[in-house]
Amino acid sequence: MKKIIKLIKLMFLSGAVLLVSCETTNLDLTENPNALTPSQADPDFFLNAIQEDFAREIVEPFGRSGAEVVRIDYMDGRDYANAYSPSNFDTEWRFAYQRIMEDISKMNDLAVDAGLNRHIGMGQVIQAYTLITLVDFFGDVPYSEALHGSDNLNPNADSGESVYAAAIALLDAAIVNFSGEAASNPQHDFFYDNDWEKWTKAANTIKMKAYLASRLVDASAIGNFMNIVDSGNYIASNSDDFQFSWGSNEVAPDTRHPRYSGSYTSTGGEDYMANWFMNEMLTSNDPRRFYYFYRQVANAPGYGADPDEETLECSLYAPPSHYDGYVYCAVEEGYWGRDHGNDNGIPPDGFTRTLAGVYPAGGAFDDSSYHSKKNGDGNGGNGITPVLLSSWTDFWIAELKMKDGDVAGAKASMLDGISKSVSKSTSFAVNDDPNESDNIDNHYTNMGNSFDNASDKMAVISVQYFLASYGNGIDAYNFYRRTGYPKTLQPNIEPNPGGFIRSFPYPANYANTNSNATQKDGVGVQVFWDTNSSSPGFPISN
Amino acid sequence: MMKTKLNGIITLLLAFVVQFTFAQEKTISGTVSDETGALPGVSVLIDGTTRGTETDFDGNYNLNANEGDVLIFSFVGMSQVSRTVGMDNTINVTMVSQENTLDEVVVTALGVKREKQALGYAVSTVDSEQLTERADGDIARVLTGKASGVQIQSQNGMSGSGTSVIIRGMNSFSGSNQPLFVVDGVPFSSNTNAQGNFEDGNNGSSRFLDLDPNSIESISVLKGLAAATLYGTQGRNGVILITTKGGSSAAGASKKTDVTLITSLFINEMASLPNYQNEYGGGFDQAFGWFFSNWGPSFEEGGAAGWGNSSSINGTDSGTPGFLRHPYGTASAATGTPQAFPEYADALYEWKPYDGVKDFFRKGIISNININARGSSESGNVTYNVNYGNLSDEGFTPGNKLIRNSFSVGGRAKLSNKFTVNSTLNYTKTSFKTPPVAASYGSNVSGENASIFGNLFYTPRSVDLMGLPYQNPITGESVYYRQNNSIQHPLWTVNNAGNTQETHRVFGNLAAIYEINEHLNLRYQYGIDVYSENNVNFSNKGGKTGSVANRSGVYDTWNNTKTIDDHNFSFSGNYDLSDFFDMNFVLGATSRRDVFNRNGVSSTGQQVFGVQKHFNFAEQDEIEYFEERNILGAYGNVEFGLGGFAFVTLAGRNDWVSNLSEDNRSIFYPSASVSFIPTKLAGLQGSNVLSYLKLRAGYGTSANFPTGYPISSTLNLDTQDFQDGNGNNVITNSTGSQLGNENLKPETIAEFEVGAEARLFRSRLTIDASYYFRTTNDLIVSRPLDPSTGYTTTRTNVGEVENKGWELDLGYDWFRSETAGGFSWSTNVNWFTNEAIVTDLGLDTDIVVYSGFTNLGNAAIKGESISTMIGSAIARDDNGDFRVNAAGSYVEDTGNNIIGDANPDFNLNVSNSISFANFTFGFLFTWVEGGDMYTTTASTLLGRGVINDEGVNRENSFILPGNGPDGQPNTVQINNSTYYFNNVLYGTDELRVYDATVYRLQEVSLSYNLPSRFLDHSPLGGLSITFSGNNLWFDAPNMPKNANFDPNVAGLGVGNGRGFEYLNGPSSRKYGMSIRVTF
Repeated sequence: MKKIIKLIKLMFLSGAVLLVSCETTNLDLTENPNALTPSQADPDFFLNAIQEDFAREIVEPFGRSGAEVVRIDYMDGRDYANAYSPSNFDTEWRFAYQRIMEDISKMNDLAVDAGLNRHIGMGQVIQAYTLITLVDFFGDVPYSEALHGSDNLNPNADSGESVYAAAIALLDAAIVNFSGEAASNPQHDFFYDNDWEKWTKAANTIKMKAYLASRLVDASAIGNFMNIVDSGNYIASNSDDFQFSWGSNEVAPDTRHPRYSGSYTSTGGEDYMANWFMNEMLTSNDPRRFYYFYRQVANAPGYGADPDEETLECSLYAPPSHYDGYVYCAVEEGYWGRDHGNDNGIPPDGFTRTLAGVYPAGGAFDDSSYHSKKNGDGNGGNGITPVLLSSWTDFWIAELKMKDGDVAGAKASMLDGISKSVSKSTSFAVNDDPNESDNIDNHYTNMGNSFDNASDKMAVISVQYFLASYGNGIDAYNFYRRTGYPKTLQPNIEPNPGGFIRSFPYPANYANTNSNATQKDGVGVQVFWDTNSSSPGFPISN
Repeated sequence: MMKTKLNGIITLLLAFVVQFTFAQEKTISGTVSDETGALPGVSVLIDGTTRGTETDFDGNYNLNANEGDVLIFSFVGMSQVSRTVGMDNTINVTMVSQENTLDEVVVTALGVKREKQALGYAVSTVDSEQLTERADGDIARVLTGKASGVQIQSQNGMSGSGTSVIIRGMNSFSGSNQPLFVVDGVPFSSNTNAQGNFEDGNNGSSRFLDLDPNSIESISVLKGLAAATLYGTQGRNGVILITTKGGSSAAGASKKTDVTLITSLFINEMASLPNYQNEYGGGFDQAFGWFFSNWGPSFEEGGAAGWGNSSSINGTDSGTPGFLRHPYGTASAATGTPQAFPEYADALYEWKPYDGVKDFFRKGIISNININARGSSESGNVTYNVNYGNLSDEGFTPGNKLIRNSFSVGGRAKLSNKFTVNSTLNYTKTSFKTPPVAASYGSNVSGENASIFGNLFYTPRSVDLMGLPYQNPITGESVYYRQNNSIQHPLWTVNNAGNTQETHRVFGNLAAIYEINEHLNLRYQYGIDVYSENNVNFSNKGGKTGSVANRSGVYDTWNNTKTIDDHNFSFSGNYDLSDFFDMNFVLGATSRRDVFNRNGVSSTGQQVFGVQKHFNFAEQDEIEYFEERNILGAYGNVEFGLGGFAFVTLAGRNDWVSNLSEDNRSIFYPSASVSFIPTKLAGLQGSNVLSYLKLRAGYGTSANFPTGYPISSTLNLDTQDFQDGNGNNVITNSTGSQLGNENLKPETIAEFEVGAEARLFRSRLTIDASYYFRTTNDLIVSRPLDPSTGYTTTRTNVGEVENKGWELDLGYDWFRSETAGGFSWSTNVNWFTNEAIVTDLGLDTDIVVYSGFTNLGNAAIKGESISTMIGSAIARDDNGDFRVNAAGSYVEDTGNNIIGDANPDFNLNVSNSISFANFTFGFLFTWVEGGDMYTTTASTLLGRGVINDEGVNRENSFILPGNGPDGQPNTVQINNSTYYFNNVLYGTDELRVYDATVYRLQEVSLSYNLPSRFLDHSPLGGLSITFSGNNLWFDAPNMPKNANFDPNVAGLGVGNGRGFEYLNGPSSRKYGMSIRVTF
């Protein structure tokens, strides 16, 4: 028996040795070794991510959606109610909150202690622009209850008005942070290369944008706007432009302009350009069109070339009756795009349709040589994303001058805007055409004449504003809902597309996961600053 | 330490191997009788051979046998008797009626063998006869239909693709619902390490593929929690207990060396091809085009849709009516195709149907060899088993192949000093290769990589898939018919892209048992399971789908090393306390450590075409992941027997797990079960009608611990996120998207089950019925968060799922042969149904989407089945009528609408075995009733116009039922392509959901056993030939008829997502023969 007990002891002892060896009994393995812990963060690394995410995931996609609905870009969808599904905006929503704003918040935890006021200021500008954009596209969105983690898993939305006010407060704080001392500058400033006066101008310009947007509901908005204009401390020249520059590296990482990646591929273009927009530029002989677009063919089927059932089916058809007076199917001189709302399948036209040009996407300059383009061609994606441009502030001023009845002032501002826009976009390539500067001068004169001859001068301003907005339609979309101009946009190819999109559906990852969120009852819901009459009926082009 | 242990095992095994013994043959004779006298027609067989004889009219027999042979005496209705040939030349046997004998013995938790009658819970057993000589090399797929309550689903028909096994329905929507595999008493990793997600391609085998079904002795399926309590959290989804031939030698085998050789040869082909139409070719709206779609002109010249109207075909462009200009001559110059193929510049291309898809596939060859040798020392104290298996399985898809080599040794030695040691050691090398398979929506792929099926099945009828060159001779890039070359040629994909997985695996165990006295034992067992899985994902440059990185050429190589270390100590005893009362118990402690380590390199930007070496790629990025988890357990089990008619079992286990916070780390699971056999009571014995009845009830609990690191918050670092103006990489930080939850608790599961087993009419009819009711509480959910919280997901405990179901097994012997070789026919039926309902979602959310896309996937919704499918639906007005827009198409309601339930109503499996003379014929028919499936394959075939919907003339128009924008009934006519393309294929998700009912002839086999008299003078002990087939026929009656679509496909991969399919490929049909020889 003794022997047995000894043996049992031995077995269990040896077993115990096995059990405790090889880490098998360690019961505290809760830290994730596959990532850093939050305590290892670096505020510079945060700010790098915030800037890139802002350009790639906020300004570009919202700028794109805004441009699509107002015909600056092509929209795929015959039915406004279903043209954009809620999940279309999941990525933007996720990046706005979970990445950009949460990263800013975590960066600030470190930056406040370290006195990195510039970092904080840049974060505030980016956050303000992001918040304003969310309100412009969706209406009421979470802010005061947002980013509280496990303390509030269902943040309530704040009114668009209060989010606007919060954004303006952030911009004011940013201006203070840019003017004072800072322990050090950020590792990278992709926008202004550590020029803090320009950052202050950008902050002021975002305030102008917000005031202008809310002028229908806020009596003091125009005054606030004009105060900044009078101070002159805003983006008034091209050198002040608030923009993000892209590179030309294709993979690991892909640093190309997002629109370039969709236009210059090994199988040709994947995006269509908007027929209305190209037609406006062609008929007004706008010199920017060679920079905005690249034509792969001299003539589109049915529009200078033989109709082709395969590559452009509509070249065989007459325009529908509601298209009377509008461009249809394609544009002359090889501008091969798509009509607003066209939801047909994709024919093999990747090497014949018109591509995005050198401005702002970093594609090819159109020297009328008509080559098919692939990835790597043109500037390889080395373009910019415009966030706020000096030309746009001129158009904003023109809008208010028209409202005040200052027609001459409006014309001057409009021509300033055109001039800045032309000089900006034409600086993206060298044009060998000896007539280039004459063309530019003529265009300037022609636009002045058009304005003078127009009975509805706002129509001219609005179209010119849209032409300058190429690359970011956020403010054009706001303008369209605020003023109802232009009134001559190409209608949807569908005669009965439903009411215009006055705000987009809430993203699915908000509406479906937040118990305090309710999806909107359709796209006719108007944001707080939009007091115009409901759609359909307003805006007139729809 | 590991090395010395292995050396020790090898030395021990060598000792077994030298124990071969050979004996002298002699004649044995004797008489067989039962209580009434001599018994004629009793079969006498030498175990492990087909040699034998029958008793004559007087019950006498003669037989040549060796000393050490085991004679098996069997007779219908009598219990089988086995006797070992010893010194005596006479063996007389008295047989007893089956009803009076002890019950069958089954393997239960921790490998303990117990009488089935004592169990208070359901256990299904499947023996080697139902597992070996099968065409499928995947043990889980071979199990299909053979155990009630077990649902098997293939990821697709590729050889070596993953397989999902679900027992008694799903308990959890975030945790794994796959059962625990235990091989020879130790846990066995059955993970499916997919090479990506379902969008980008998730090829990868389920690691039970490393087991050769031919090397398996038996399988027990522990379905309920009462059965699996001793496995703790690991056993929560049921347990598949596998005893290999190597492992079974521990139980004491025949004393003679016994060698079995199985060789098989099967054909592997695609089970179904769509019924393509051959009237219309590529194009849209009856106009020709080199499109993806097949809505073009007809192959007739005349008529409204005839090619005579098309300038491309009627000779206007090509000069020859009925011919097009060759697509490689007219392709855009920017593709480089016309320059690379000058011979096609003026070539013509005939407008006719080409039947390329059929020719794309091949008949693969499956060959299989398995050799098993087993035996024991003369004393019977040392037994051993050696097994070698080789499988070569060529898929029906070119580029798909599976090769497996496995080797195992096992043995047991009863030592003189009261120690018994046993051990098995297995080595398997499994190589799997396949062309890429990824989700496609019917227009190229959706993710970053390519997919072999993404552009195949809807090839327009007028496209000469097999005849058009697929590779640019100058650049090596893919070329195909579309004029901007934006479709990757499927043949290019086969030849230039793929996934491989080569796995080296060692698993086995070493156990030592010390017999303290006749009542008490001490046991220690160490189990090891290590595999090293080498993965490659590659594509040469020049592909036309997926990301720009994929088109630039990718080469990803990585290794997954998975280790499970398992220690188990137990102390057990059994006592007959009185004639009426006996008890046995086991107490134990166990530890399990899982380590998963992934390391590799991902390269992009191939330089020289065709060379897959990292040095040949421009950019490299890391692939790494590490996960470890320890579980400690302590368990106890006690069983009381009362007079042989009642049994009570009480068990409990406590688990401690390493990845939760200290407060939530430990959990205790009790269980209890009873078995009561009224037919053993004095007054009820001996009935001719009801010879056996057992009633049972069990209650069991378990828990599900999360995997990974659910309570920690993380920070991302990316060293290649962006570049500054000088081209230098910019490093970024970003907050992790998971909100760590310190308070996360394990899910708890409780199950109550009752059942009855009966044998009637002299055991002609057997019945085994179970009902179970299971609730899972505190479900761990990877809850999607509104990103405005600052996070997108958190793991949290919510709500409750109620899971209940019935299982019914019936067996009936239609004919029983009174003599060996007579006609007999038996049928076994198993039927089971399961319904898992989310009864409470808790917290403050009413829907959690847990698989698929956030707006098209599986969701948990209160009051709905756990496999509910959500997606967009046709918008309905207040009266429930469809809404139709001004264009005549359905208005889409984009919210998360319920569009189906993937859970079938029931499964029914019918197997038959008919034998006569030396022939045995068997078949297994399976029927899965109901369950919905979102099928991209069927909707793409319809939407692209390559098949006709039944009874639809495509030149007619449609008026969709519903109300137009004005609220009045819709009157807008739309054409065929607008309906099938815009509405079915690219409209609301609801229109792509079909009922997935399927009938299937799962297995058919015909075997012939060579009569023993032919073998008397040969060294052979037995020889049999079996012809068999797998999945020979199926019918899914509610799927679009001409699609011939097989719903046995898991488009979301092996996981909790069910009911979705994204052109993942067809199933396979296998048929052939195998020969079994015993020496």
